[in-house]
Amino acid sequence: MELNTTAKGDVRVVAVNGNLDALTAPELADALSTQLRQGNAKLVADLTGLEYTSSAGLRVLLNAAKEARSKGGDLRFAGVQTNVKKVLDLSGFMSIIKSFPDADSAVASYA
Amino acid sequence: MRDNLIITRAAELDALAVFRGFIAQTCKQLGIADDVSFQLQLACDEAATNVIQHGYEGMNPGSIMLELQPGPKKITMLLTDFGHPFEPVETEAPDVDALLNDRPTTGFGLYFIYQTMNDVSYFTDERGNHLVLTKNL
Repeated sequence: MELNTTAKGDVRVVAVNGNLDALTAPELADALSTQLRQGNAKLVADLTGLEYTSSAGLRVLLNAAKEARSKGGDLRFAGVQTNVKKVLDLSGFMSIIKSFPDADSAVASYA
Repeated sequence: MRDNLIITRAAELDALAVFRGFIAQTCKQLGIADDVSFQLQLACDEAATNVIQHGYEGMNPGSIMLELQPGPKKITMLLTDFGHPFEPVETEAPDVDALLNDRPTTGFGLYFIYQTMNDVSYFTDERGNHLVLTKNL
């Protein structure tokens, strides 16, 4: 898995590439926690390059969304691909987390 | 004659990607639909994660074996480990609203296994703990 975090105004976009499982999920948890600790609570998880996630990845995303909201921000998804969407649908995540076709529209949704 | 579709790895988290890759490659060779391949990979990942993270607690790290048994109308995955027996029982759908609000709910892993597979069974014998996951084709 590869992570790439960029700043778009006061929004932080964390691009997740590759596969999220119990081995790689802690790295994403660290990246999201770091942003939240630094006071960046408006987050976008750009999942355009994410090919697979198990429940381990979902837990990390859910915890980050919970913490971001408690700090007055949010975690929003961008570019969810087919297999990842299947897992998100199965878990009920798509009903509680806003999802956008790409990172730009997810960032714009915070305006 | 069909190749021997068995792979064994140390029960460590880097085995997860190896198992998913093994399933993906085997399904491709057998002409099994991508959607079925994905569901097999997810169920295997969730089950193997449980074994790796909990099955060998307090013991020397052991191994985990994945065997694929393709048939004309179904494919069976057999996961064998040698740690503590743990029968995965069917759980209700996790309540994500409850999770967001710090209320307790069930986990996703077992739920995903039961949602993606047509049959789940478990038994223990002198050769280890065996989780049998069956998916109709």
